[in-house]
Amino acid sequence: MARVRRPGTSWWVGAVGLVGLCVAAEVQPAYSQQSVSVRAALVKGTLPADDPTAAAWATAAVSEFPMSPQVHWPVRITDVTAKSVKVRGLHDGTTVAILLEYSDPSEDPDDAAALEFMVGDTKAHFAHGQPMAQVEGGPVNIWYWKNKDGKGADLGAKGFGTLKPHAHQDVKAKGVYQGGVWKVVFSRPLSTEHVADDTQFKPGTFASIAFAVWDGKKMETGLPKEKGSEKAISSWWYFRADAPPDYSPYMYALLAVALALGFELVLVRRLKKGS
Amino acid sequence: MGGVLVRPIILTVFIYLFLKFIVPNLPHSAPLPSSLIFLYLMLTTAGIVIFATLSGASKDAFFGPIFRFLTGESGGALSSARYLVLALFPLLVGWQTYGSTASSDAPPGENRTIHPAPPGEYTGLSNPVPKTLDNINYGKGLYASRCSPCHGNFDGKGFAAAGFTPPPANFKDPTTIAMLQESYLFWRIKKGGVGLPVEGMPWKTAMPRWELEMSDEDIWKVIMGEYDGAGQKPRTWDESE
Repeated sequence: MARVRRPGTSWWVGAVGLVGLCVAAEVQPAYSQQSVSVRAALVKGTLPADDPTAAAWATAAVSEFPMSPQVHWPVRITDVTAKSVKVRGLHDGTTVAILLEYSDPSEDPDDAAALEFMVGDTKAHFAHGQPMAQVEGGPVNIWYWKNKDGKGADLGAKGFGTLKPHAHQDVKAKGVYQGGVWKVVFSRPLSTEHVADDTQFKPGTFASIAFAVWDGKKMETGLPKEKGSEKAISSWWYFRADAPPDYSPYMYALLAVALALGFELVLVRRLKKGS
Repeated sequence: MGGVLVRPIILTVFIYLFLKFIVPNLPHSAPLPSSLIFLYLMLTTAGIVIFATLSGASKDAFFGPIFRFLTGESGGALSSARYLVLALFPLLVGWQTYGSTASSDAPPGENRTIHPAPPGEYTGLSNPVPKTLDNINYGKGLYASRCSPCHGNFDGKGFAAAGFTPPPANFKDPTTIAMLQESYLFWRIKKGGVGLPVEGMPWKTAMPRWELEMSDEDIWKVIMGEYDGAGQKPRTWDESE
């Protein structure tokens, strides 16, 4: 028996399907956006907080940021080894881990890397939170790792010459050098008790983050190629620890669809009665 | 669908196309935000409805085809279009609801003012250094050693530019130094990024505070070299009046 089709049914079904695809595409997480932020996804199970080579890192979205030689304040440098850094983040709801990955032709004891964050809601200049003329700046929180130390350091600064370790050391770090690439993982609890010194990560909220890398290769002078303010830097980008999945927007959308359908039914019925 | 609806539909589409594609290309104009376009289209629709309902006859002529379309009395191809509209409307409402309630994956928007107003003491200063070839070349030399790492060959593409956001200014671009007075550049070079007011987001800029490393006279010479090298002329009071 031949199927009886209402005229025009097939194309409007196709059109609705197309709209459905568009909606689905819109709902996809925007992980592929150009790197202006680092997104730390929420993971279940063990966080690779002390293993820069853990397989779990392959599942984390990667962002890449260009690096500049530090020319903002003296002592300057004009050529740096790290031209960019790749950054990944993961968290388990309690601890956040951030993996920094960059090329370096040689492993040296003075190789070092750092992450920098603003503290609280006060804006701070990316260059060690230096004072600004018309804006009251805040402190910065710096997470520092140096190869020969083999551990992380939790530092604070509010202007040049004020960099010093916090009395409380909450940051851990571990670096692994493989095939001309440093992989350094930093970790810390999402929140600490030291709100005046430490950046606090609230899942779902964007924080400011900046990067620094030192190539510690020993030069003929006996000094490292990059040291102190002679380093590769970035200015501020964004970091976010993802919030747990929130399905309420889908519920609201379904409710809205139901209400709109109900409105249509009532309207058409009343119009038909009226006519 | 009734000829009475054709003109309002054409008018609405024309206004949308005008706002979306023509207005941004007018002199001294810019693309309109979608919220503003939506507002204009709502005003247009409201105007059309008010106009169409001025009398009982015009009201019936306007709404009659719509009601017949919605109830399926129009028949023919329009009955298929009716199903499409009835299916799309709830989907659109659901989509809008999702969009307004779901948390955004995008970082916070930044409304950074690129050229904020300078402090009063830097308004209208004139360059006290004689515009001689020697002074221009001296300024270009300072530019090469101090400024070119970020600002490059006056194009904002120096070797040290890549990591900075906002990027260093491109002086060949007509929207930078060509539309500014020399006094403005003097303020920006002397006080650097940290001298910006809050709307300039001073915490993001890498521009050094050159007053710590250069004399005022040298800064004025750099400004001369910068305009000459970029092939631009400073805006003057005469031109801005």
